[in-house]
Amino acid sequence: MKKSHRIGRPFGRLIATALTLVPGLWQSAALADPPASLAVYNGRAGFVVTTFSYVLGPDADEAGTCPRGMAKNLAEIYALEPDGRQQPGEPDAAYTARVRQAVAALATLPDGNNVCLHPEAAPADPHFRTVTRSDIPVDGVDLDGKGADSGDYPADDFTSPEGVRGIDNQFYRVVGCSRSFQSTGPSNTFGTEMLTGAWGILVTLEGIDDLHNDDAVTVGIYANADPIQLSAAREPLGFATYAMDQDPRFRATTSGVIRDGVLYTEPVDIRFHSIVNSLRLERPLRHARLQVTLGDDAGLQGFLAGYTPIEAMYDMQYGYRSGRGGDGKPGPLKLRLGTANGAAFVLGHTCNGGWQALHQLADGDCDGRSGECTSISTQYRLQAIPAFVVDAVTASSNAELEKAERVDVY
Amino acid sequence: MKKFNRRTLLRGALQGIGVGVALPLLDCFLDTNGKAFAATGARLPVRFGTWIWGCGFIPELWVPTTTGRDYAMPEHLKPVEAYRDQLAILSGFDVKLDGVPNKPHVTGCLGLRTGVPVPNENVKAPTLDVLIGDQIGTATRFRSLELSTSGVQRSYSYRAAGSANPSEVSPLALYQRIFGEGFQDPNAMTFTPDTEVMVRQSVLSAVGDERRKLMKQVGAADRQRLNEYFTSLRQLEQQLALQLEPPAPVRGFVMPDAPPETSLDSEMGNVMENHKLMAGLLARALQCNQTQVFNVLLSDTASNLRRPGATTTHHTLTHEEPDDKVLGYQKDVAWFAQQSMLAWRDFLDAVSAIPEGDGTLLDNCLVLAHSDCSIAKSHAVEGIPIMIAGSGGGRVKTGFHLAGAADPITRVGLTVQQAMGVQVEKWGALSMETNRTVTDLLS
Amino acid sequence: MFTDYLRFPLIKSGAVCVGLLATLLSGCDRGQSGALEPDPVGGPTVMRRLTESQYRATIADIFGADIPVAARFERELRAEGLLAIGTGEAGVSPFSIEQYDAAARSVAAAVVSEEKRNSLLSCQPQDEAVFDGQCAARIIDDYGLLLFRRPLTEAEQEKYLGAAQQASEQLHSFYAGVKHALVGLLMAPDFLLRIERTNKSATDAGRQQLDAWSKASRLSYFLTNSTPDRELLRAAGAGELDTATGLQQQVERLIASPRFEAAVRAFFADMLQYDLFDDLAKDPSIYPAFNSQVAADAREQTLRTIVDHLITQQGDYRELFTTRKTFLTRPLGIVYRLPVVTRNGWEETEYPLGSHRAGIQSNIDFLALHSHPGRSSPTLRGLAIRDIFLCQEVPDPPANVNFAVVQDPSNQAMPTARDRLTAHRTEPSCAGCHKIMDPAGLTLENYDGLGSYRTHENGALIDSSGSLDGPQFDDVDGLAQALHDHPETPRCVVEKLYRFAVGRDTVWDERAYMDYLIARFVDSGYRVPELMRTIALSKNFFAIDPDSGHGVTTEHASAVTEKGVRS
Repeated sequence: MKKSHRIGRPFGRLIATALTLVPGLWQSAALADPPASLAVYNGRAGFVVTTFSYVLGPDADEAGTCPRGMAKNLAEIYALEPDGRQQPGEPDAAYTARVRQAVAALATLPDGNNVCLHPEAAPADPHFRTVTRSDIPVDGVDLDGKGADSGDYPADDFTSPEGVRGIDNQFYRVVGCSRSFQSTGPSNTFGTEMLTGAWGILVTLEGIDDLHNDDAVTVGIYANADPIQLSAAREPLGFATYAMDQDPRFRATTSGVIRDGVLYTEPVDIRFHSIVNSLRLERPLRHARLQVTLGDDAGLQGFLAGYTPIEAMYDMQYGYRSGRGGDGKPGPLKLRLGTANGAAFVLGHTCNGGWQALHQLADGDCDGRSGECTSISTQYRLQAIPAFVVDAVTASSNAELEKAERVDVY
Repeated sequence: MKKFNRRTLLRGALQGIGVGVALPLLDCFLDTNGKAFAATGARLPVRFGTWIWGCGFIPELWVPTTTGRDYAMPEHLKPVEAYRDQLAILSGFDVKLDGVPNKPHVTGCLGLRTGVPVPNENVKAPTLDVLIGDQIGTATRFRSLELSTSGVQRSYSYRAAGSANPSEVSPLALYQRIFGEGFQDPNAMTFTPDTEVMVRQSVLSAVGDERRKLMKQVGAADRQRLNEYFTSLRQLEQQLALQLEPPAPVRGFVMPDAPPETSLDSEMGNVMENHKLMAGLLARALQCNQTQVFNVLLSDTASNLRRPGATTTHHTLTHEEPDDKVLGYQKDVAWFAQQSMLAWRDFLDAVSAIPEGDGTLLDNCLVLAHSDCSIAKSHAVEGIPIMIAGSGGGRVKTGFHLAGAADPITRVGLTVQQAMGVQVEKWGALSMETNRTVTDLLS
Repeated sequence: MFTDYLRFPLIKSGAVCVGLLATLLSGCDRGQSGALEPDPVGGPTVMRRLTESQYRATIADIFGADIPVAARFERELRAEGLLAIGTGEAGVSPFSIEQYDAAARSVAAAVVSEEKRNSLLSCQPQDEAVFDGQCAARIIDDYGLLLFRRPLTEAEQEKYLGAAQQASEQLHSFYAGVKHALVGLLMAPDFLLRIERTNKSATDAGRQQLDAWSKASRLSYFLTNSTPDRELLRAAGAGELDTATGLQQQVERLIASPRFEAAVRAFFADMLQYDLFDDLAKDPSIYPAFNSQVAADAREQTLRTIVDHLITQQGDYRELFTTRKTFLTRPLGIVYRLPVVTRNGWEETEYPLGSHRAGIQSNIDFLALHSHPGRSSPTLRGLAIRDIFLCQEVPDPPANVNFAVVQDPSNQAMPTARDRLTAHRTEPSCAGCHKIMDPAGLTLENYDGLGSYRTHENGALIDSSGSLDGPQFDDVDGLAQALHDHPETPRCVVEKLYRFAVGRDTVWDERAYMDYLIARFVDSGYRVPELMRTIALSKNFFAIDPDSGHGVTTEHASAVTEKGVRS
């Protein structure tokens, strides 16, 4: 892909003088005096991600992005039917039971399978809604390089509030008319799971001569194998040590440049962990690139953007088909089904509606001949603080507990 | 009752003689533990219970902004302002997951109650009410009573995985169970002193017999210290002597009327009504020593509470309802959180309505009220709200707000168990294992 | 070397630094290197309460480490600067007795439990439901000896056997009887208090010696922080502790045992005032990284460093103030801003050059303990350096001092602690002591109230220059060297260690003996284990001056000695 380095929304002041380095200082492990505000280990400056969320456009009610209303769950869809409403005199309990029954029927395929497990076999959901407009400000990174100067500015690209063009964020289109993805809803707060130690993300920088402008730095992006360290007030603590995941699928290194205090990296495939309702899932991102500002508090702020395989995105947000238990085996079917159907009800969508929208709006990894795409542009916003990043195979914090899970501790 | 005397026992065994002198109660004992006595000078039983409400709280409406005694009652705790002195508010204690997948509404609740986080309902240790019941509740008709007021027949009281103690869900059924067939008039029951306690008392007495000999052996300064030792020893003997006395007669006990049939569902108004009825019955049952241990489940941990006519439950709302843009929190969720605290006030009203000794039944209870999570939206198990009500007959101190500063929540469970006389040195597993009690609570 | 002190600014207010005065006086007749031990002086016998760590270690040594001690121990009393001295002054409150009772019952119940009884009890009854007097007597004699640290008298044997019988019969269980007899032994003053007794017959120039059993206890708690083991009790019963060879054998054995480390830990935890950690609070908004785990790890970090340096490496005590070798955990790494690769547990490591850390006085346990909840304190740190490491007492501040200036870190005109203290020192009543405390403490201003390194306070560059009784320095490395070189550094640890060993303050006539110990300490290259050996082998260690107060004189002990030890 073509290099396209553009500065997104500025994140506060750029590098302060305290961070300006004598060129060449941190290239070796024998670094004499790294800046105190950075966490340097083995010549690499490390960071742990502290906030992580999807970059989404403005709320539907503010921007009028969903003129045909919001997506609906099965209960709401049933309520649209003539006999779907509560009848006069019908007791609450009886109506609730009737709705439950109808929802269960709607969620079941003719062959008896649940729609959430087999969305490909389900009919189209005419009530699912997506964002179709492009004339609304949406932040992020231009992933495909189309739009820079604009001969071939695609109709589905967005422009940032600062006027950066060509921003690819099809995932926002999928969820922009779902009520749980509005700014007040719960779906984009999945990053708080990080603070429980369920998963995490590490970043390393190596070979920096100048934090402000550098033509070649090496950047590592890893899943964190350790729980994030918090203060009593639940604020992440700087200068903690974390180990990168030992599974190579959860580690990536790439090259990058620093321009005016903003780091831009070359695309690389990476994968993180995700946990929903105690089901362990994977959060892959293909052709991922970082565009982050190095802040004067020695932190990072900015975007991680790339293309999420749509089947994986479906599992993370809708179906949980591939959810696994702590033992690495597929999670209990009942739990996966309950999670998918419960989420659909609570969050206000249908499984098939989400699956179909992901397929319709996919824009990455497209087949040259059929034109069919298998991934969808996805933008994350992140913040990170200094952390020592080590590559160590020492006993996991959870090793004792895993033992305890096998042998009762009491 | 056969009069038992500490000196009789040992001497009797050794020499076949049995004459002794009754021990007067030491003044200092009466002073420090006066609450354990009824007006008659006989002992009052101590009770332990838990009271669970589901789906946590709205932090800004529940956590006092300052710690210590003179905190301002936050909005959602205002209903229990009258009980300020009898309440300890504990915020900021964590269930530490140690990487255990957080099963929403279960892991936090059972982690708090068993000291071990589990990814499902398969507890790895008994819940603390069971451990305490084994200590204090073995002599009563019911080992413990479980009640649930929102129509779900479950409890979070486990002796082992797979065997949760079932809850009564109907006030009428609860009434029949306690006051129906098999009910024993507490004042008609015969009292048998605990032989184990007799033995303990006599052994301590034998140790105390060393006094005269040792006092002669040490110098003046050490004599004073030895004197303190022997006086303290004597005081412990006195406490045991008291346990050998029959319990105080239950006074003013009136057989309650059978409650009406009520709607057993999760509609908030019905729940409030059922809860009030069942709390009243429970208080009577405690008064007349039918049980000394109880577990109340106001709403299930994934709270099934709902408003009349609404199909969306409290739990669903925590995930579904957007934050109010002005208030900054979920408004309808906050309503349920507030209702839960109103129910908590009803519970305290019911228990403290029973006079006992020179105070009320509440003084002789230690009630551990808690939820399953702090912020339900994200199922956070850090900072699960806890309240302790009643002093357990003077065994714990109340009247303050304490911030746990992310310490393991097992510190609370350990403290409560020790206060109730469970011999436990440390409790919990892995990061949750602790031997540190909450010293502010201990008198 | 003591002439240095004549230049030292003594306080003029009349409140003389007592430790200094004692030092000056005792310096006059200091012995030569390699001198012989002065004649025994001795103080009173001391009736010392077992500390919590001693109680726990004692139970673990007698019954096994997995026996639960389910109790909360009362806060220990610090007297004359040491908890060890407080154990000889503290009483036993009703609360303590309740807790001892809880502990005793948990221990006894575990000992007779079905899982444990076969391995812990020396015999089994024919019928569990029936009392077996012979077996019970064996068990009571056996554990009586271990718990009382001497054989039971006949009267005691009868008493506890009677208790066992009575309980067995009442509860229809032999093991219940044994359990209650054990509870009785565990509640007895002879277990909970170390009652020292003298051997009247062995007098030496008007001085007495402890009897063999009391010697065994002193030795054992000094060298292992726990109860005498069977071998030591055997030696005591056989009279071997009264011979030089016999004593030496036992001392060598105890110093070589793994339990010796516990004694070194107990001493330094006492000297470093770790009981104050119970009250340690840090403002979470200022020091978010502080929590109970950091506090626990910080103590352990320094104790590990001490054990490693003094025992494992047999290092020079003074190098504790300059060593860069240390041990870290991940929670500590956050405060030190150092990487810690090991996930769970301890990593042996070295403070990197340029990390501004060297010596235990630059560890965060010391820095955090001697600070305020929301800010550092050059005065508290300076005071602690003098008090803890140099045994120099500084008088309490005069009443009614206005601390407003010092305590307002937001004072813009005085951004650093040095600025604020300088203003404060203009008060003549304060100046005398602050001149002594602050110069050492100011060098530690590069560490905030939790101990993290900093170069600025309120935006102003911190001037970390300071001095310690002569040497001037600009940074913590200079302070480290000054502490290493200070003549009071070795003398102080010698005095504290001896006071720790005997559980009382030193008496006037022990000056010469102190000089002797210091000389031997210097000769050994400042090796602490060697110093402990010297103390344990010296006659002064066991000497009792019958005229010095509350000595125990009893016919009892010598009476049982003759019966010997059964084990």
